[in-house]
Amino acid sequence: MKRFSIDSRRALYAFAAAVSLFVIGELVHPGFLGLASVESILVIASFVGLVAAGQCFVILIGGIDLSVPWVLNAAAIVLTTTSLGRNAGAPEALAAALGMGALVGAANGIGVAWFGIPAVVMTLAMNGIIEGLTLGLSGGFTCGACSSYAPPLIQGLAHDAFLGVPDALWLWLVVTVLVSGALGLTRFGRATYALGNNPRAAVLAGINVGRLTVALYAASGFFAALTGVMLVGFGGQASLGMGDPYLFTSIAAVVIGGVNILGGRGNYLGVAAGAVSLTVLVSVLLALNVPDYVRSIAYGVVILVLLLAYGRDQN
Amino acid sequence: MPPDNSASLPRGGRLNHAIAQNIGLILAGAILLLAVFGFILIYGIAQQRLPGNFELTSTVNSATPLVFAAVGQSFVILTKGIDLSVGGVVDLANAMAAVTMGKSLGSALAWSVVILLVGAGCGLINGLLVGLGRLQPIVVTLATLSIFQGVAIRVLPQPGGAIPAGYTNLLVNPGAPYALIFIGLLALGWFALRRSRIGVDLYAIGNDEAAARAVGINVLRTKILAYMIDGTLAAAAGLFLAASATAGDATSGNSYTLSSIVAVVLGGVSLFGGRGSAIGAIAGAFITTLIVDILFFSHVNPLYQSFYEGAFLLFAVVAGRVIGGAIGRRR
Repeated sequence: MKRFSIDSRRALYAFAAAVSLFVIGELVHPGFLGLASVESILVIASFVGLVAAGQCFVILIGGIDLSVPWVLNAAAIVLTTTSLGRNAGAPEALAAALGMGALVGAANGIGVAWFGIPAVVMTLAMNGIIEGLTLGLSGGFTCGACSSYAPPLIQGLAHDAFLGVPDALWLWLVVTVLVSGALGLTRFGRATYALGNNPRAAVLAGINVGRLTVALYAASGFFAALTGVMLVGFGGQASLGMGDPYLFTSIAAVVIGGVNILGGRGNYLGVAAGAVSLTVLVSVLLALNVPDYVRSIAYGVVILVLLLAYGRDQN
Repeated sequence: MPPDNSASLPRGGRLNHAIAQNIGLILAGAILLLAVFGFILIYGIAQQRLPGNFELTSTVNSATPLVFAAVGQSFVILTKGIDLSVGGVVDLANAMAAVTMGKSLGSALAWSVVILLVGAGCGLINGLLVGLGRLQPIVVTLATLSIFQGVAIRVLPQPGGAIPAGYTNLLVNPGAPYALIFIGLLALGWFALRRSRIGVDLYAIGNDEAAARAVGINVLRTKILAYMIDGTLAAAAGLFLAASATAGDATSGNSYTLSSIVAVVLGGVSLFGGRGSAIGAIAGAFITTLIVDILFFSHVNPLYQSFYEGAFLLFAVVAGRVIGGAIGRRR
């Protein structure tokens, strides 16, 4: 069980980083640890955490999903333009947005598993394809329905609270339990780790590698679309480029959460902690009122420091 | 990788062997030819005349930054790495050029050397983190991308600055495709390096790092060198970009991270390392540039541009695999 203990330790590092960043925030900006402040940071972290759940699935099998930004953006636009801001059409619009994400993800998986296209190339091309389709079909986001708001139901999901805890955090909790359970307790999870550790051995062990790969990429597309839905509920309206910040952030959250970028190692609890760490880091830097460039540099430095700490752990 | 046993092949087998070994490069050349003819055809239909010196010059000048970034990227990808920080280095070089060069050609040339050294330094950081720190290239360069972008914005917070006209004429002369000379020099440099010890080591590491180490190759030094060459060439891309824009912008290089990877893939370099060449990357950069021109002159709705680029990338990669596989079987 040595593998397990290292993974848990890495997840603990990510948690420790999140907690210490919260404390640093309180030191430099008293009131940072207030309930409202922590709550809003966690809600923003939940968006990163949702994208990172999908990214975590594909990175666990040594893949990567670079199509996240425009799948997220397209899902947000599909939701607003098909529901036109009315609750009546909300379920269909939600199904259309999430279904689109899962389908695009499945197409990525088919390209990777059955056509043997490297994941970087497949998902990069898919990002361009979805970007072009979104821009083209919406006439450069000038269509009449483009300025529609998200249905009040979805806006409520992003803003309301249940038992004093924001709905967005409940959703994230459910996703965390489901993803961790699926990876840790089910046959699907064991097959995913097996494929990530040694694809040839996974085939010999009777795992249907093609089907599993397609399912994992479909899950990544689904989670990107779900994030788009939550973001448009949070912000009210969709906009172009709203998914761009989530590509590198989701990969960074997965990596500092202790998942091996080559696959086969890590778990979602660490990734969730990674998402919180990155969001707290940005919030601390915002609270410090530092210029953009310092934020960008600090972001990179923190990722490197955490990675170097993990590297020593491995030796 | 199959062992290289060309010496023992029967007569006539050598040609087949050479074809199979260079299939990526041959396919890239074929796609480039198709793209050139496609461009001439579409341009001819749209403009009722053949493209001339002006079109050649503008295509070469707009492709040159990508050529340099892609060749740099190919060095790292040959070692089974990847460099996501290319865009950040292009940004940094671009920003430094705009701030420092001033009015005289002399100071511009002097600063160019400094900027290329800064690019090499960026590569050194990546190389040390990958080689000594034993971290994965994709995450290291993701982090350094953020750092280099931040430094670039610190150097040049708003687009602006100035590039001397003489410098622009030297690097990307708008009157004639002189930039081809720089691309030719780059290709010559590659041929020389490919045949040197370093070139052989690069391929050995990309094919099987453990085996390379076992036969006494200094893996650490070679990897660091690959990242330093990559950083220097990315900085050169930033200089060409600044020269053709005649001003600087600390974000205009961002797109080079992904487009350099696309160019390398179209050029037949394997993302799994050890296969392909910088010549393919040069071809890939021209293909990428020509596709944009073809879409422009065929009056495709520009909003759909990324759709066609993505679809073309997938088509080219799948076609390459199918044709490569068919030739491999025939052997």
